[in-house]
Amino acid sequence: MNHFDEITCMLYLDGQLDRERARELTAHTEECAECQRLMGALAGEGRWLKEALVEADEAVPARLFEPRTRANSAPWGWIAAFGFGSAGAYTLWNNILEPVQRQFDQAGFSSQNLFTVLLFNGALWKGWESMRSLVEFLAMGMFGILMLVLFRRNWRRGTTLAVVMASTLCAVALPPAAGAAEVHKTAGEYVLGAGEEVKNDLIVYGGLIRIEGKVDGDVIVFGQSVRIDGHVTGDVIAFARDVRVSGQVDGNVRAFVQSLTVEGQVGKNISSFSDTTEVDSKSKIGRNIYLFCSVAAVEGQVGRDATIYAGTTRLSGIVNGDLYDSSDRLSIGSTATIGGMASYKGHHQPDVAAGAKLAHPLEVKIISQRPDYLSARYYWHQALLWGSAFLFGLALILFAPGIVSQAVRASDRFPAAFGFGVLLLIATPVVAVILCVTLVGIGLGIASFLLYLIGLYSGQCFVGAWLGEKMLGARVGTSALIGRLALGLLVIRILRLIPFAGGLILLLVTIWGFGALIVALYHTARPQMETA
Amino acid sequence: MSAAEITEALEQARAGSSEAWGQLYRLFGAAIFRFCRRALPTREDAEDATTEIFMKVRDKLGQYDASRPFSAWLYKVAANHCWDMLRRRRVRQDLETGDLETLPLEHPDPGQLENLLTERSSQEVRRALAQLPARARMALVLRYYSDMSYDEIADSLGVRRPFVGVLLLRARHQLRETLLQGGDFRARAGA
Repeated sequence: MNHFDEITCMLYLDGQLDRERARELTAHTEECAECQRLMGALAGEGRWLKEALVEADEAVPARLFEPRTRANSAPWGWIAAFGFGSAGAYTLWNNILEPVQRQFDQAGFSSQNLFTVLLFNGALWKGWESMRSLVEFLAMGMFGILMLVLFRRNWRRGTTLAVVMASTLCAVALPPAAGAAEVHKTAGEYVLGAGEEVKNDLIVYGGLIRIEGKVDGDVIVFGQSVRIDGHVTGDVIAFARDVRVSGQVDGNVRAFVQSLTVEGQVGKNISSFSDTTEVDSKSKIGRNIYLFCSVAAVEGQVGRDATIYAGTTRLSGIVNGDLYDSSDRLSIGSTATIGGMASYKGHHQPDVAAGAKLAHPLEVKIISQRPDYLSARYYWHQALLWGSAFLFGLALILFAPGIVSQAVRASDRFPAAFGFGVLLLIATPVVAVILCVTLVGIGLGIASFLLYLIGLYSGQCFVGAWLGEKMLGARVGTSALIGRLALGLLVIRILRLIPFAGGLILLLVTIWGFGALIVALYHTARPQMETA
Repeated sequence: MSAAEITEALEQARAGSSEAWGQLYRLFGAAIFRFCRRALPTREDAEDATTEIFMKVRDKLGQYDASRPFSAWLYKVAANHCWDMLRRRRVRQDLETGDLETLPLEHPDPGQLENLLTERSSQEVRRALAQLPARARMALVLRYYSDMSYDEIADSLGVRRPFVGVLLLRARHQLRETLLQGGDFRARAGA
């Protein structure tokens, strides 16, 4: 007699055989004692396995059911951590954020918020209708899809989405467009001839752009070489290789260029993000200048204040208000005049010529190129920075424990985390800038850039927690995680004190942790199980 | 807790009630811990995994389809999590598909199997289970602890459905062998 094999019997018992085969087996076992016995033994084995596995053989650890917070305890570690954290946050605000905001105010952005500054007072909206192109839509669409994929699983909680939406709303709430601007697109030269007049905002894309006539509105230019010899009653906003303003601009000049030269009159402010900015001796600026550049030469007349962040600053003109200079080197020529306060913060002693006229003595603060390892202040500062990072990590654990846990695990997969980190480190700002330029995605662009910065900063927390886990072991519970975070961040902070290598370690940790966050977000977002 | 009470607690937990979530955690925590204890090599791993599974479940409550039993969904999440953990540790699948196909399908001796069932205690079975390769152990736990169907097992372990039976049978063979070897050692030690 042909017996049925064991697997067929098991499948039969598990109800996995088709009806015909099952009927065959039933008929066989009614006649075959051996197979009957085997079936009985297999069924018994199944029950036996089930009983053995289901049996509650050991107590469930009580700490798995511990409440997450203890009402009556205030461990010193927490108090110290919050103390450090708060002090760190205060230091961060006081030393970095607040001065930057103040300097933006000085630069003439006081009437609007920082976002609006980035949006160039909403002026770009005016050209929106004509700037939509397939590429821009593709860029927007891709980024939108990416954001949706990343955050769709958290739709209900929606905190991240809320940030994005709020930023978008901010952008939407900007002053509405005044009307369609006059737009010219050319690969070659665009010239608004002398005597010609545009009674509208003018947007020009071109190689060589020359404005010799009058524009009764703003001028927004994207080109290689731009010359403004005529008269612009509004602002000039330029994205170009080199820009020369020889005519008259009644509003502001905002330039994102390689080289900016101002020889004419600017009614309000100059803001320049460039390699070289030259405010010529013939120029006259009504209000403030605000320069971010490698080389800044101020030879003309500035109505109010000059705020300069540069590699080298040469001042030989007149600043009627205050001078705030944070450059590597500053030289003040003999023909220079500063009517208000003057302060310099940099690495080298400023060179002030004998004939320079300064209403107040120049305040000089030399920043040491190397950290002062012998000063207690230096270590206090490091402790505060550690506190800031730790507080930030605590907030992450509190608000996004799942992501933190995933990111710490993802840190274990160094190649993937590092690869994603490098990729997103470069790609995110590019996408954010594209979004900002495409206008409709401005809110999204700014939000993603802010999230990017937060992500980069949080990188150290994930690597820190991972490092702590390697050192202390992977014990369960929030307290253990916090302990690991504190230790890991401390180790990273100490490693960063190493001369030269410290910077590299910072970069490595940031990329690694940022990549781990991306991997974690990916794992959180992807569908991991069937719910149907 | 009745099914209706679980459903209500789930709805409240979805709406953000920590109390309702706590009730669910207390109700299912022990079962999930035991699941992890059977599936993972160490107690510490099981504790970690239990916490992480519940964190994950809480994050994903919105995805739960209320037409299915909550415990089944919970076990599915737990199975995926534990299997991911094991895979991350490079615990490679003990057998590739090719090996599964070459499994000898000899007729076992029912008498020997019956003896084994009567002689070995549940504790010995669990000890033997812990010595099995990860995938064999996982397959038995999914089937006999979580009552998962063959489809669910195939999905969780990433194997084709027709191989689930082979995988389970092989795991049972390995368990029997481990128990028999243990018995021999014990007999020798006692001799």
